[in-house]
Amino acid sequence: MPRTTKRSGGPDSQADAIEDLYAWGVTDGLPVVPPTLRRVEKAIAASGGAADDLIALVPPNYGRATVEKIAVNAVMAGCRPEYMPVVIAGVEAMCEEAFDLHGVSATTNFSSPLFIINGPVRKALDVNCGTGVFGPGWRANATIGRALRLIAVNLGGARPGVISMSTMGHPGRYTYCIGENEEENPWEPLHVEHGFAPSDSTVAAFAGDAPQGVYDHRSRTAEDLLTTIARSLEVIWHHKATALGDTVIVLSPEHARTIAGDGWSKAEIQRFLWERLRKPVKDLLPGKDGGEGLPEHVVARFPNPERNETLIPKFRAPEHLKILVAGGTAGRFSAVIPGWTFPNGSNLVIKTIHIRA
Amino acid sequence: MPRDDRYLDPTDSVAVPRKTAQRPASLDGKVVTLLDISKAKGDHLLDRIEELLRERAKPKAILRRRKPTFARPAPDDLRQQILRESDVVVEALAD
Repeated sequence: MPRTTKRSGGPDSQADAIEDLYAWGVTDGLPVVPPTLRRVEKAIAASGGAADDLIALVPPNYGRATVEKIAVNAVMAGCRPEYMPVVIAGVEAMCEEAFDLHGVSATTNFSSPLFIINGPVRKALDVNCGTGVFGPGWRANATIGRALRLIAVNLGGARPGVISMSTMGHPGRYTYCIGENEEENPWEPLHVEHGFAPSDSTVAAFAGDAPQGVYDHRSRTAEDLLTTIARSLEVIWHHKATALGDTVIVLSPEHARTIAGDGWSKAEIQRFLWERLRKPVKDLLPGKDGGEGLPEHVVARFPNPERNETLIPKFRAPEHLKILVAGGTAGRFSAVIPGWTFPNGSNLVIKTIHIRA
Repeated sequence: MPRDDRYLDPTDSVAVPRKTAQRPASLDGKVVTLLDISKAKGDHLLDRIEELLRERAKPKAILRRRKPTFARPAPDDLRQQILRESDVVVEALAD
């Protein structure tokens, strides 16, 4: 591990450093902050761990994400040292077996890890949870998400066109990190719903496409609004896709208030959407209303599929619809985020952020 | 990848592009495994490859194996089995 610094200082040397790092092939296409020894040491010191502590092996190449390697990538991404515990928890989340980073990094699909931050750390680090939550403009969101992308590339090997074979990619592959707007959330926040304490700070990793906007300015009841949202969810992947798993629904504060105002719980929302998103076999056949549809081995299970009314759910279970509240307090917009959800594909994983005392 | 000792290395030594195995000059007398990764219609492609192999080469045997899901790496026991029993592997992606 090279540890000498021979910098002469001054603006020209910084500009050269940026070009040198491009030439090294370790960037995401944007300029990176040169990871000098002094910067990396500050990040390690703020992490609460030792430089050679192994946090995870990063699929698919299984590079060793030590605290030091994480710090080098975090510095390059522009992170402040105090973001390190969040980046470390993000590495733990995306490298857990259930997340299947191997598949997410290699797939031809759009998917990219989206990191969702919950708990008191959001305020401590000024993580944006409100207006313009998906960016740009906030250093914590921008650089924490970017650090985790650089780690997936530099330690996991997910170089576009080499291991990462996504046909289209998506802009969230530069950085994809939001905070939940817990203050505007009428229900329990994501981490509490999954068994963490409200005082815990957590980061969730979710493999998602780009957010798709749902515009509904006129619904004033939960049922009306959720019907609009169900219709938007209906076209995820394609209008006849079924057997989908974890999928995120980001409700704006105004939309959340309309739904909660009618007394609906998160579980009731999930059940309502799941039920609305079932279609009869006869409407899911390939070659009718589009070439896509149920796989042949599934169609074969039903007698007279052309007339069969058996309802097939779009999502495997209501709990796969993960509901968050985020975004600004003005605007009746929500977002749905399709997942990388093959059976045995990626699942949402939440990890505790251990803040150094 | 050029190294630059003014900066710490963001990569790990194992995270480098892997080399592919050396290709045999001929398939005659070789055991060929056709690995279906469970993508839709991958079997169509492998059926045709098997036909062509039987027509144009003289493999000792052609074995058909299948991953449980395309979404994850092959289980270790399947990889070890393929490694033990075959000289050449053809993996099919389809859709």
